Amino acid sequence: MKSALWHAISLPHYNESMLFALMLALAAPADWVPARWTWTDPATLDLLQGTPVNCLLLKWNSEQAQAISTFSERAAERRIATLAIIEPKGDPADSARQAIRAKMTGIVLEGDFPEGTAGRVRDALADSKAVVIELTSRSRLKLGGPAPILATNQGVWAGIQVMDDGHAKAGPSGTPWIDTNTGFVRAVKAWGDTPLWIGNLPPPKAVVTGERYLQVICDAAMVGARWIVALDDDFARRLKDKDPATLKQWQRMGRHLQYYEDHKEWRAMRPAGKFALVQDVSDGALLSGGILDMIAVKHTPVRPVPRQKLNIAAFKDVSLAVNVNGESLTPEEKEVLRAFTRSGGTLLTGPPGWKAQNSTNADQITLEKQEMERLDTIWKEVNSMIGRRNLGARLFNVSTMLSDLMSSPDGKQVVVQLVNYADYSVESIAVHVLGDFKHARLYTPEDGERALEVYKNEEGTGVDIDKVSVCATLRLD
Amino acid sequence: MTRREWLACTAAAGILKAAPAAPTAPVSIAKCNSYDGDLAATLSTMYDQLGGLDRIVRNKTVTIKLNLTGSPGLRLQGKPLGVTHYTHPKLVFAMARVLNKAGARRIRFVESAWASGGPLEEYMLDAGWNARALLNLVPGVEMENTNNLGKGKKYSRFKVPGGGYLYPAYDLNHAFEDTDVFMSMAKLKNHETCGVTLSLKNCFGNSPASIYGDDAKVDEPNESPTSGRGAVFHAGKRGPAKSAPQELDPTTSRHAGYRVPRIVADLVAARPVDITLIDGIESVRGGEGPWIKGISVVQPGVLIAGTNPVTTDAVATAVMGYDPQAQKGTKPFVTCDNTLLLAEGHGIGTTDLKRIEVVGVPIAQALYRFEA
Repeated sequence: MKSALWHAISLPHYNESMLFALMLALAAPADWVPARWTWTDPATLDLLQGTPVNCLLLKWNSEQAQAISTFSERAAERRIATLAIIEPKGDPADSARQAIRAKMTGIVLEGDFPEGTAGRVRDALADSKAVVIELTSRSRLKLGGPAPILATNQGVWAGIQVMDDGHAKAGPSGTPWIDTNTGFVRAVKAWGDTPLWIGNLPPPKAVVTGERYLQVICDAAMVGARWIVALDDDFARRLKDKDPATLKQWQRMGRHLQYYEDHKEWRAMRPAGKFALVQDVSDGALLSGGILDMIAVKHTPVRPVPRQKLNIAAFKDVSLAVNVNGESLTPEEKEVLRAFTRSGGTLLTGPPGWKAQNSTNADQITLEKQEMERLDTIWKEVNSMIGRRNLGARLFNVSTMLSDLMSSPDGKQVVVQLVNYADYSVESIAVHVLGDFKHARLYTPEDGERALEVYKNEEGTGVDIDKVSVCATLRLD
Repeated sequence: MTRREWLACTAAAGILKAAPAAPTAPVSIAKCNSYDGDLAATLSTMYDQLGGLDRIVRNKTVTIKLNLTGSPGLRLQGKPLGVTHYTHPKLVFAMARVLNKAGARRIRFVESAWASGGPLEEYMLDAGWNARALLNLVPGVEMENTNNLGKGKKYSRFKVPGGGYLYPAYDLNHAFEDTDVFMSMAKLKNHETCGVTLSLKNCFGNSPASIYGDDAKVDEPNESPTSGRGAVFHAGKRGPAKSAPQELDPTTSRHAGYRVPRIVADLVAARPVDITLIDGIESVRGGEGPWIKGISVVQPGVLIAGTNPVTTDAVATAVMGYDPQAQKGTKPFVTCDNTLLLAEGHGIGTTDLKRIEVVGVPIAQALYRFEA
């Protein structure tokens, strides 16, 4: 198939059919594993060997079009997609056309463009079938829309918050507070299966340890999203210079990325457990540090339910629910909750003022102090309601970790994803899962997989895990 | 100042030559640099040096108060709790074996789990302990969270003999009454409020937060406590639940350095300690847990055992490089009264090192200066 685009491109090495064939050989966008790339030297593509990274995001610069073109061509030979990052300045459609002429695979519109820009860019590239991705603020994500990939550059750098004196900050839950994107990702995933990318540049003037890179990757991946790998300047320089220690860290990052790509079946699983949280975007569902993250710190499995998707089916097997904003429901939605309580479910409805203020502010990623303080009250109520109840799984000795419980559609298999945010391994973790399971296997990126002993307990099935470095996955059948 | 307090404070200073002679008991010290050795053998030797455990525990129920202070989620530099501020689990396992071998019929581990009314087993799991293995280690092992009623139906009231410094009696979990032998299994470390945390201060945790906690109800216990005892015990801003005996004199100092040492001495007088063990293999100095700024890890490499908490703590304080009879204003009792002296004032045991027989390793050889 020929397009007008290909006529406009100069092809120093390939004829257009060969190039098109290379493009076809690329992975589908849903399988892209993204990384920001600051280099246009084709030799840097060697760094990707042994990693699953197959999609590079390069800042578009028309003055380097030739270098980018050569780079993109070489990348395509290796089945690596190249996406041009275009920012809100100038004519994005014109820049997009130039980038595609430079043999790039697609476009990333990074930032908050005027409404309708993405559509205009897609129209401008209609003949090329180039993918256009909006890498935007959380509040502008088009949830439930037709986008091939949802993407935000407002990821938080996941990890344990450390105060100026070096102590870990403790949250209202009393354990070390973990900055995480998991609550946000789960809130987005509740809208559908569109692949989600989340990223942010490394914190400026901060040393990002190798462990921290792994933590942000795993933080997103354990709940089914992909972190857009982005390296700090110092790391990038050492990597390009092929510093042995840096290469080792980079390979470790590759192994962790590969780990989740090797288990795509986990992404198809559904949030499990008997606890549902009804929350809307306007209630702060897309902010980190909110009620979902607080519940996550307690390792209580929770199924986020967007208000707009409130129906009887969403409460299947649910025994406990929190409706964050009791004032926002339509009569039909209220009836769903009434039906839930009539069937024996317990419902906690937030009083006026529960919902996060300013949650539609495009610049806001996390809750502000005032909101955190108000959330403390909410948290105490939720915590009191949950108590020691096993709502799917209970985990022990996991104060530096977050977890996610998912189940197969038939409920015969459950998976507990674990990510450790401390810079040291955690030993002696106990997992108590509701239900009768016969077999358990532990998967890790660095030590492969192995069977674990299961034992019966009052809550169902118990499993002990001897050690988790950065991440692990427990599968129970 | 009461007569008893005056006696406690003057005896050590030599002002009162005819101070009543509190009882003495030998203390055993062993050098031990690791939790990986044969701890049971070391412990057996130590208690044999003290006359043997058989005579104390055979066919008896032994209740062991552990030191699992603070949330298990709070860790110093991410280290396992046992090498910083908790009693180490390997030492606990070893002690259970030794007690079993000595003929103990039932071994009940207790602790008032921080901000929790749940089972102690789950608290241990959160601390990274293999609670199942401990329960199955030897016959008769039990666990009880003494932060509330626990498995009991009512609280047990323990009167302080002769009246207390601050309270006349304390209401505690039944486990402290339903036992033949009570053991304090502590950690060798400093304490921000009391200077040192040893076998005496460990017993501060005997008190249930359901009654003495900040969120205790006014008239009755709160069986789901979620806080510490700061308002009731440390600051005296409010009283315990009225179901329990109230403070003797609410006009006394509200300073924690005055109150907490007295409460500890009261608690130990009310519920006497029969066996002690202080874990000084690895620990922290500068405070009792990671919530205290400036603490650091230490490896004193010692175990200290006894049958009297005051003599044991006197020796342990000396091993830490302090004078066990030091007065308020002197390290480690810079801003507090000396708990050991107050306990001595209750007649529990002597703090006079000259009257305490040390067996095993001499203090000089075990010395590990916490202020170094």
